[in-house]
Order: sequence, then structure tokens, then C-alpha cells
Amino acid sequence: MPTVTIDGRTVEVAAGTNLIEAGLKVGVQIPHYCYHPRLSVVGQCRMCMVEIEGMGKLQAACSTQVMKDGMVVRTTSPNADEAQRAIMEFLLINHPLDCPICDQAGECGLQDYSYKHGQAFSRFRYDEKRTYPEKERIPLGPTVMLNMNRCIQCTRCVRFTEEIAKTSELGFFQRGSHAEIGTFPGKPLDNPLSTCVVDICPVGALTSTRFRFAERVWYLDKSPSLCTGCDVGCNITLEHKRGAIKRYKPRQNPDVNDFWMCDHGRSTHERYREVPRLAFPQIRRNGALAATGWKEALDHVAHNLRSRRSEGAIAFLGSGFLSTEEAFLLAKIAAVVDSPHHSIWVDSGPARQIPNPQGGITGHDAAPNRRGAELAGLVPAAGAVASEDLLLEGGAAKCGAIFVADSDFGRAAYDPKVVERLREAKFLAVMGWADSPLARAADVVLPVATHAERSGTFVNVDWRVQRFEQAFPAPPQVRPGVEALADLLSRFDSKWSTVTPATVFDLMAEEVAAFGGLRYGEIAAEGTKLARIPEAAPAGAGA
Amino acid sequence: MSTERVLMRNVGRPEALTVRGYREGGGYDALAKALRLQPEEVIEEVKRSGLRGRGGAGFPCGAKWSFVPRQTPKPKYIVCNADESEPGTFKDRLLMEHDPHQLIEGCIIAGWAVGANTTYIYIRGEYTKAAAILESAVRDAYDSGVLGTNVLGSGFRHDMVVHRGAGAYICGEETGMLESLEGKRGQPRVKPPFPAVVGAFGCPTVINNVETLCCATHILLRGADWFKSIGTDERNTGPKLYAISGHVERPGTYEYPIGVPFQTLLDGCGGMYRGRELKAFIPGGASAPMMKASDRGIKMDFDTLAKAGSMLGSAAVIVMDETTCMVRATLRLAKFFAHESCGQCTPCREGTNWMKILLQRIHSGQGSEADLDLLARVVPNVGGISLCALGDAAQGPVRSLVDKFSDEIRENLRAGRYPTPAPRYFDQGAAA
Repeated sequence: MPTVTIDGRTVEVAAGTNLIEAGLKVGVQIPHYCYHPRLSVVGQCRMCMVEIEGMGKLQAACSTQVMKDGMVVRTTSPNADEAQRAIMEFLLINHPLDCPICDQAGECGLQDYSYKHGQAFSRFRYDEKRTYPEKERIPLGPTVMLNMNRCIQCTRCVRFTEEIAKTSELGFFQRGSHAEIGTFPGKPLDNPLSTCVVDICPVGALTSTRFRFAERVWYLDKSPSLCTGCDVGCNITLEHKRGAIKRYKPRQNPDVNDFWMCDHGRSTHERYREVPRLAFPQIRRNGALAATGWKEALDHVAHNLRSRRSEGAIAFLGSGFLSTEEAFLLAKIAAVVDSPHHSIWVDSGPARQIPNPQGGITGHDAAPNRRGAELAGLVPAAGAVASEDLLLEGGAAKCGAIFVADSDFGRAAYDPKVVERLREAKFLAVMGWADSPLARAADVVLPVATHAERSGTFVNVDWRVQRFEQAFPAPPQVRPGVEALADLLSRFDSKWSTVTPATVFDLMAEEVAAFGGLRYGEIAAEGTKLARIPEAAPAGAGA
Repeated sequence: MSTERVLMRNVGRPEALTVRGYREGGGYDALAKALRLQPEEVIEEVKRSGLRGRGGAGFPCGAKWSFVPRQTPKPKYIVCNADESEPGTFKDRLLMEHDPHQLIEGCIIAGWAVGANTTYIYIRGEYTKAAAILESAVRDAYDSGVLGTNVLGSGFRHDMVVHRGAGAYICGEETGMLESLEGKRGQPRVKPPFPAVVGAFGCPTVINNVETLCCATHILLRGADWFKSIGTDERNTGPKLYAISGHVERPGTYEYPIGVPFQTLLDGCGGMYRGRELKAFIPGGASAPMMKASDRGIKMDFDTLAKAGSMLGSAAVIVMDETTCMVRATLRLAKFFAHESCGQCTPCREGTNWMKILLQRIHSGQGSEADLDLLARVVPNVGGISLCALGDAAQGPVRSLVDKFSDEIRENLRAGRYPTPAPRYFDQGAAA
């Protein structure tokens, strides 16, 4: 492989690597706007001009490939610096420079590079700025708003729709300083990935209709997490403020979602605002739910799980929203009460396709962790009461007790008929974050954390185990599911009194062959693909 | 000095518009000769002749042909750049309107040399007459067996398509032309890869100017040594068309050996309009930096002009007399480039517009010497770092204005002479 020296640091790279990528390998950031690793190289912003020994003129780093040994590149020579300063000036002469009222401020490529490569004064007269009258607020489609005055004509968005989304809704129109981005008549920007153009827009020209002017981005805290919209398991940065999720942004993972995520996934956190939240444990007294403490609520559940065995089956219903660890603990509880009736319910959703360098990944479930929950043991034994029996037929009437581990397990939790059916059980305990009709029908309600408030793992459609981290703490009376389930389990077996998602995962990995001795701390940043992928539905291991 | 008309031999010979008439004057002999040679020999001959591209950049033609990979499963293409839109340039139009078969012959020779079976002639949209003439000439060539599956009975297949542009200067830039030819928005591509490797429709492509291909015809017919005997030196050879316009008595296209002094050109077209004084001239089309009257003795070839800080470009000579307001003249060019910038790369998109604004301000009388100083600092940033040559082209005339005429502008600014009165146009009777 050829070597290249960038600012005095030599590195070996694959032939054909461009200088921006080569620079990143040695920690040299070459400024750029139009270049994006997944889009074609057009070399048109001219921000990445660098000096290459032996070449008279400055070269664009994005379109210069390392082909043979010995290329020597300087990114901060006087000539390169001057070119970068000149480009910054050109980009800003016609830019509104109204950062205080611009939604991109704080995450703007122009701001960042201005500090690093620009100048502090303007030589251009304000009243001579080129503007696009009437084009400050153009809805390109249902999700994206365009302000042409802020655009720097990098055409990343145009190339995204052509090359990644393959829908080609956007085009580059007009010429010269009046060149503009737009849609073709009668064809709005409306595809499942459309909001990605907002992410790749380096400036405030494209903003998300849902998020624009909702928050100043520097007030947002950021945590690595996973999207729960489907079983692709897109890696996301969860951006939040004071215990509320504000937006999801894709977090790069070349093996899963690459740089992208779908519009549906971005909107899933809105559910946490739309659906009322369970705030404290409740217990049914004299026909009405009343607030109680965790100890009393869990004692009551444990008592009923023990005592009702003579009255019928003790059924456990999980969901694809449980973390693998929660599912494992739920299966453990079923085991200690000697119940074979443990299953999950997962709504199926439309196919959601996310492109990545391997050609893409498609999810079909409406929940992120069906595979993890099944591997952890939530698969009914033969002849046991399964989720279909409980939800679709009158299976609940045969049950002495039903423990539903997710009050928001699917659309059925909001279906009065299904709720009525489940209510036929002698005892109904419901755990979850959502105050759904199902929760309101329960005998005991256990409030647990949303996925932003807890840690754990999901197993995606490709059998890849991925971790998500707690972004912010749960409200005072709300506990993470692992903690609540372990507390319940410890009422049967005292060794479970103190656990964390990590210890549960490690225990599970010892018991469940599919996890093959993996440890929580060893799950790679981009997830770990399971070595031994179960061929059919996994056996009820762990139970 | 040779005064023989080579490229213009059929100008004023309307019978040359048909294959038959063209053949009577010795036409298609060069092609027949080329087809008897190996393609490598044809390229070698053109290389030896020292022919440099006549479109503006002056790139050695033989070298360009030799860059096309010989062993490739892909089809190869010849694209003839007939998108002659550089202000002041009208030499190719003359060739196409009066001698279309000379061009067709050159295209087929190029096709034989590089192994291309198709030529696209990308002709400027405004050239309706030339396009009509070319189209009928191509039809005639097909009917006469010059084009088609069996060129002159040699078994070589060559097709030709005349493609009309839609009126954008940027489509004269070779990769912008390819994009336009492919039906896309005409804007230059990033290079490398160069068109010789990845060109039209992703295939190896040779792009040559009309006059270059016409020259190739004569090189094949009369030999590289004959071609080399014309011109200044080894690197500047052959006959050259000069399109002369502006304040001269008889503007028009003139053929000279490359490298004649500017004064000879001026004398050849009857001298300055009404005997006025020469003030400045543009030697090579709108993108060439302007020269002052004191440079009138300069040799009009690639290297001499480059050394003098200008360029031969398309050899469109624009002559300006003492009545010319240099700011107004440059503003006109700056407006052209700002209008024609494709808008994709930053320095050209923003820089051409900024230069226009500054010149406008100076010319309007609202400007000051500070604006001139600012212009001087902005201009160098427009060229050199743009994606294609349009940025370099746009800053050429403005740079020369700032370098060579700033004393005059300062004096005019101090005296409050801007805006200058609109020029009085030639009265119809006096124009030749």
C-alpha cells in the first residue's frame, strides 16, 4: 500500500484513498463542505485545497487520490491557508450572517470553519448581498424546509437523493450566483430517508420540519443509543434536555445504518410525549387503582404469582421492546414459578430499508428486539399458552395470573377488546412506561424506564447485539426494568437481589449458547454479530 | 512568410459544401492516406507536427490522442468542440459554414487514430446556419460512403452526430460539454479522471476543437514536416486563424502562420478604425488578459503570449482604441462571466459576481480607490482554485485591468469621470 505524508505525519493507506480520508487517519482534519464519504466526489466547494509537493497549483484534497508512494501534502502552508481563507470569504459574502436567528447555529459548518480558517471582518457591502426573495421558507416535502438564502450550493442533498435514496427529487437549478436547490414540479421530497438531507446539509439551508426552531442545539445533551422503530437497530445519537428527548440523529455504523436513518425512526420518540406516562406503582383497591410503593406492589405480584397457580396457568407476556436482559429475567421469573407460558408479542411493520455499504439492511418488525427476547428465553414451550392465545383467543380466561412486561407492547394494548380479554385472568400485573388502556385495567401497575432511561442490549435483524446507554435518569418513582424484574425475582430467589444489565447479560451469555460466552463489556462499539446464529426459533434456553 | 490559405482554402468556394465539390479540391485524400496508415503512425505524425489545440488551452493534440487506452472493451468517442462561445471568437463558424467536409475529414482521421467509431460534433446552439450546413454535409458524407459502415471502402466504421447546444458558455468546457451531451446539466466534472480515460458516457473520449481537427487533415495530407515549417518555433507550428474584431477597419477572420506579430494582424485588416490610436487589445478571447498598445509588436503564439502574462487562447483578437473606457469594457466581460458561471464551485460562483459588483460600483461613479484596491485583492482568489478554467478565465481581463490600467482608473476616479458616456457604435456605412 502506498504511503503519504500529510503535515509531516506519514501513513500507509490503500491505493485510491483520497487525501481527506488519509488525513483523518493521522489526525489531520482537512476542511470540506461538499465531500461526504458516501457520496460521489464533485470537488466543487473548493474548501479542501492543499499543497502537494511537485504540483504547481493547489489541489482539492477530496478529488486527489493517493496512488503511489511518496506524496507529500501540506494542509496549512501559507498558500493553502490563503486559499481556505478566500473560500470562506466567498462563501460568506452572500450568506445572511444571521446566526442568532438561524436554527443551524451551533452545528454549522460555516461557523466552525470561520473560527478555524476564516477572517473576523467583512469586505463585502451588506446591501449588495445576493438573496433569494420569497425562498426563505420553502417546504421541499413533508419533512424538510429549505431556506435558499443560507445555502452554499454544496449539492450534498442533491447527490443524496440521487445516490443513496435513489429517488432524485432534488435538483440544482439556475446558474452562477443564482444557482439554487429545488424540487422538480409536482415531485416533492418525500421518501423514507428524506430527513437525512438535513443531517448532511452543512449549513442552515435545510431544516427538519419537526425539529426546526424547537431547541438551540447547544443546550442539548447527547448520548449514544439505538432507535426502537424497527429491528434494523439504527445507531443514533439521542439528543435530550431535562429528561425529554428532543431528536434522534443517526450515529455512524457502517455495518448497520451507516450515516442514515429513516424518517419513521426519527419520529418514534414523539410517542413518549403523546402517550401518558406511568409515574408511580399502583395497586387495585376496591375496584380502583391507587398509588402505592414499589415494595408493596412487588410483594403483591409475587404473592399472586405463587398463590394463583392452582387457579390456572401463570402466563408471562413480553414484547420486542424489552431489552435482552429484561427478557432474560422475565424468563427466569417464569422458571421459578415453574410456568412454561412465556412468550412475546411483536407487531409487524412495513419493510424499512436502510442503505449501507454492504447493500442495505431491512427491518420488518415494529419493535427492535424480537430476536433478543426470543434468544433470552421468551419462547413458549410446546402446548403452553402463547401470546396469540392470550391476545387473539380467550386464552386469558384459563389463566390464574398474567404478567405483561410491557404496557405498550403493540397496537393491541390499546384495543378495548384485547384488554377485556386479558382482564379475564384472575390476576393481571402490567409493567411498562405507557399509561395504556391495558395498564389502566391491571391489578398491579409497575412503572419502568423508557429505553432512553435505561441501559441494555438489543439484537437486530442481522443477529447483531448492540448496546444502548442510559441518556438520563428515570423519574423518581420509575425504575429500570432490569432492576424491577430482579427485585421481583429476588422474592423467589435471593441471589438476584442486586443486578445490573451487565451482570444479567454476562450470566445470560453463560447459559444461552447463541451468545457464546460474550461479555457485556466486550460488545463492540458497532455491535457484535452473534457467532452462532440460531437457524429456527431458538429453544427455550434460560428457562 | 507563407501567404497560402490552408485552413481557409475553401472559403469562397461554395462547391466545397458537397462531397463531390470538396473532393475536386483534393478533399478526403488525407483521410484515404490516413486509412492506409496504422493508427499509431497517424498519431505519431500528428505528434511530430507539434499541433497544439486551437480551442484555447493549446494542449498538444498528438499527446491527447495517445492518452486514449488502446486495449479497452469500451467504445471510444471523438467529440468535436464546436461550442464556440468565447466572446470575440468566430473562426470555427467560418470553417463550419464554408468547409464542413474539412472538419468531417478531420474527425474521421481522429477516429481512425484512436479507434473511435463515433463522432459527436457539439455545436453551439446559436449557430443555426452552421448546424444546418454541417447536418446536410454529414448526410451527404453518409450518402457518398465517407461515413457509415465502410469509410472510403476501408472497412472502418464511423458514425457522426451533430448535437446542438442550448446556449451555455460553460458547455464549451470539455467536461461540461460531455455532461450536456449526456443530457445532464452542463457543468464541468472534477478531473481526474480525464476524458481520455472516462469521457462521454463513461468511455474514453477525445475532445478537439474544430480548427484543431481541420489542421489534422492537412498534417496527414502534406506531412508533419510541412506543418512544422510554418510558425515561430518547434512548439508553435502551423497555420492559425485569427478572429479580429473591435476598432479596426475590416474586422473578420484572417489566416496567418502562427506567431505573426500583432502589428501585422492590425495592418492586415486595414489598421485602426478611422486611423485612431490603439489603446489596448485582447489577444485571445475574453478570458485572455489585455495587452497595452506598447505590446503591439508581440508575436501572437502560445508561448510568447504566455510569457507576457496573457494567452493565445482561441486567437480572438479584440482591438480597443483610445476612446475606450477600460472599466466599461472590462465590466462587460465581467458581467458575461458572472452570467455564464455554472454556479457549482465557490470561487467562480461568488468571485465572478463580486468582481462584477466592484466594477459596477467603480463605473457607476459611486466607487472609490478603496474599491479598486479591494478588487486587486479579490481577483487572485478567483483563479487558480476553481474547479474548471472558467474561474481562471474570468479573472484574466480584470487582473490585467488592475495591473495595467489602475493609474488611469485612479485619475478618472479623482476627476469624477465615471460613469463614462456610452460608446457610439459604428455607423453602418463605415463598417467594412
